[in-house]
Amino acid sequence: MSSLRQILFLLGKDLRIELRKKESLISMAFFGALILVILNIAAGIGKQVDADTGAGILWVAIIFSAVLGLGRVFAREKENGCVAALLISPISPGEIFIAKALVNFSLMLLSQLVLVPVFYVLFGSHFNADPLALVPILLLLNLGFSTTGTLVSAISAGTRRNEVLLPILLFPLILPLTALAVKATAGALATRPFSERLEQLEPMLAFCLIFSAAGYLLFPFAIRED
Amino acid sequence: MMTKLAPSPFLSIRGLRKSYGSLEALRGINLDLAPGEFLCLFGPNGAGKSTLLKIIATLLRPSSGKIRILDDDLENNPQEYRARLGMVSHQSFVYQDLTLLENLEFYAALYGVKDPRQRSLELLEQVNLADHYEMLAGNLSRGMQQRLTIARALLNDPELLLLDEPYTGLDEHAARVLRGQLQWLHDQQRTIIMVTHNLRRGMEAATRMGILVRGKLVYLQQKENIDPASFEELYFQKLEAV
Amino acid sequence: MTPLNRATFLPALATLLVPLAIGMIFFYAPLEKSMGIIQKIFYFHLSLAGAAFLSFFIACVSGIMYLLKRQRIWDARLAASIEIGVVLTTLVLISGSLWGRPIWNTWWTWDPRLTTSLILWFIFASGLILRSAIDEESKRATFCAVMAIIGFVDVPIVFLSARLWRSIHPTVIRSAGIGLESSMLVTLVVSMVAMLVFCAALFHLRCIQHQQESTVRDLQQQLQL
Repeated sequence: MSSLRQILFLLGKDLRIELRKKESLISMAFFGALILVILNIAAGIGKQVDADTGAGILWVAIIFSAVLGLGRVFAREKENGCVAALLISPISPGEIFIAKALVNFSLMLLSQLVLVPVFYVLFGSHFNADPLALVPILLLLNLGFSTTGTLVSAISAGTRRNEVLLPILLFPLILPLTALAVKATAGALATRPFSERLEQLEPMLAFCLIFSAAGYLLFPFAIRED
Repeated sequence: MMTKLAPSPFLSIRGLRKSYGSLEALRGINLDLAPGEFLCLFGPNGAGKSTLLKIIATLLRPSSGKIRILDDDLENNPQEYRARLGMVSHQSFVYQDLTLLENLEFYAALYGVKDPRQRSLELLEQVNLADHYEMLAGNLSRGMQQRLTIARALLNDPELLLLDEPYTGLDEHAARVLRGQLQWLHDQQRTIIMVTHNLRRGMEAATRMGILVRGKLVYLQQKENIDPASFEELYFQKLEAV
Repeated sequence: MTPLNRATFLPALATLLVPLAIGMIFFYAPLEKSMGIIQKIFYFHLSLAGAAFLSFFIACVSGIMYLLKRQRIWDARLAASIEIGVVLTTLVLISGSLWGRPIWNTWWTWDPRLTTSLILWFIFASGLILRSAIDEESKRATFCAVMAIIGFVDVPIVFLSARLWRSIHPTVIRSAGIGLESSMLVTLVVSMVAMLVFCAALFHLRCIQHQQESTVRDLQQQLQL
């Protein structure tokens, strides 16, 4: 029995529930857009933000909205004790980790399909950067955020204060990744050459690889009861 | 439907211990089950019944001791071991936002069942839920949900079925249905371990009784050797003796 | 050495070493020319930082050991080292700030090392919050072990990225001593040793406390049964 197929079943199950209820996606996109507006007010209405500030605003909105979706992924499994059902099935905890990270990755990507255009509408009239230049940055951050986030949300969902603990535990860990993403985005918005951005993209990739490996190894401990 | 009878015990547990710090939840459990046996474990709260069941279900790790199902060792062969298990707990293990069929199909696929849809429909038929296959599991009544839970546990045609307080939260009618299903499972020669503190319910279904007090199996006896009328008396004697 | 002996020996040694280090800092080490008296903070600051980093390393090792062995003693060590690490990092940040004010003319600068310390503080302080949020003992230990390991894995990345993301900022005066006078070096070594002994004593006492705490809880539960 191939583990790839089991991962896909688990992923498919989660995406099906999500597409049916749309609870995570709608709240993620809505909350993200709300933050964009709030930060617009904070930056001063009617003022044009420069590339550095703009990049920061975009990522604050994305990170905060992504945490909403992340919290739901395990909360749903805990509802009827389904985690236990998964743990006693032949699927291994590592496979559950991969599937859940992929779910988070997809949710983030889908919500960004809304958030990035909204960002361009609200702030981007004077950024003549190609939105496609953001794609590698988005993908890398999503990957790092989903793997780290899957591990941390398994932990926070095991406590009685899931919603509060998740961002408290997660944000310090992904701070370096976010900071690099902000810098790379600023470079992209200011249409600096791609080669300059490699200086951030390479450590971002390293972060993703390290945390994927660490998450895969530590996840079995985070999801089991003892 | 079942694998043929094995000469060696079907499930064997040796020297099983589980401790949390200096507290011992299980203090050396030894247990052999023949294929087709239906063991019912009684015990007061905190006796370690659920812990024992969770360890057998691979949800908890034992501090020491060995568990085997036929040749599949829990440590060396966890995947094979788990493929032989089914579990019904007081939690339903189903996703509220999926239909009955989707729920079963998902789990069947996870277990690598050959034709997940066919198998799921078959089981829905068996638990009398076939008419409702397109309903969301969240909209089921408690009794129907319990039937779905049982169907779910049977998807992989488990050789060992673990039942953790299955009567919790069931009304008389649903409990009767569950009772019928347990009888049916037993007739199919499945090995069953049930944990409950409901003496009457346990007595009517099982073939073997065990009493667990403070992490020790203080009593283990075939039902034909037990006088049902005095069992309750015996139970309380055992509790007080420890 | 029996535990009781060690429990008294380390604090006793610390009470000798710490005043000695303070004495040396103020009366033995010469006054630095450009920075003056404020440079004395450096001896504390560096010792604190070294001990803090060591604590997080010990936390990570204890976390790994707990996950492998599942013994209470490793959880006690994990908890003690995180607690001490957080306290030390707090002191590092404060002493760094006190030093930075007259030298760089600001309380805070996003220097890579300061930034790293701050993020480390957040990571491990969040571990303490996690600890307080779980009652169940084995679950708390496992979760904290996982967070300590992943937090420590983050350290090099934090440092690397802190250097990358603020590449345009005033060059910080090199703190570590290339060309430290030998008397300054001796003072530094003595203060570091004093700090380490002091922290070891603290660590040891805290471990004992944690273990006693769980023993008391066990007894309580046994009484309730």
